[in-house]
Amino acid sequence: MIKIATEPWHVMVAHAEAVFPNECCGAMLGSSDGETKNVTAALPLENAHQGPQAVRYELRPEDLLKAEKEARTRGLDLIGIFHSHPNHEAYFSETDLKNSCPWYSFVVMSVKAGRYDHAKSFLPNVDQTEAPEEALELPATDRSA
Amino acid sequence: MPKVMIPTPLRQFTDKQDSVEVAGATVGEILGGLTTAYPGLKQNLYTDEGKLRSFVNVYVNDEDIRYLSKDKTPVAATDTVTIVPSIAGGR
Repeated sequence: MIKIATEPWHVMVAHAEAVFPNECCGAMLGSSDGETKNVTAALPLENAHQGPQAVRYELRPEDLLKAEKEARTRGLDLIGIFHSHPNHEAYFSETDLKNSCPWYSFVVMSVKAGRYDHAKSFLPNVDQTEAPEEALELPATDRSA
Repeated sequence: MPKVMIPTPLRQFTDKQDSVEVAGATVGEILGGLTTAYPGLKQNLYTDEGKLRSFVNVYVNDEDIRYLSKDKTPVAATDTVTIVPSIAGGR
């Protein structure tokens, strides 16, 4: 299970709405007790995709490296990646799967007409062939609740 | 010896160490030594065919080895090798 605290969740929603109609992306930092991953900080990162960003995102490895260093500085771990699907549902697409990394939770946020709608989390496997849904707990203020 | 930085989720395979020292003069030798010392890393870094997985980027200091000499990139004793994931997607 992955649980996102109020502050990082607000950062994620604000970022997803701000870059609409493009896809946003970023890193989730926090800790894990083995069963539950607790996200306590979110770092919006630049969508580095060179083509239409309304349907694709790409994270620069250098930015992920910086996120990892930032996590270490704060005494946290890089535990997940988030991105948005503008005007589409929060599902793990074939493109998401083929470009995923099994080391992290992947939170997908649906943004419709510029407003956050709903979110889901996924855990892709090492062969990038499937990504089962992971239980996601959002703050009580989540507008979709 | 060169130091290899381990991403958080892979530290479960390196006795929770965030970096390990591995002998070797090239990236290939170092990653080979790393996966021999910590076999649990192998499936995460390499395919069954022995190729580096598509989501694995390797840096020597701040340089991506894809733009150097890939697994033949020389590594000095004072260098740091970092494993960084490659992540993208879209609907």
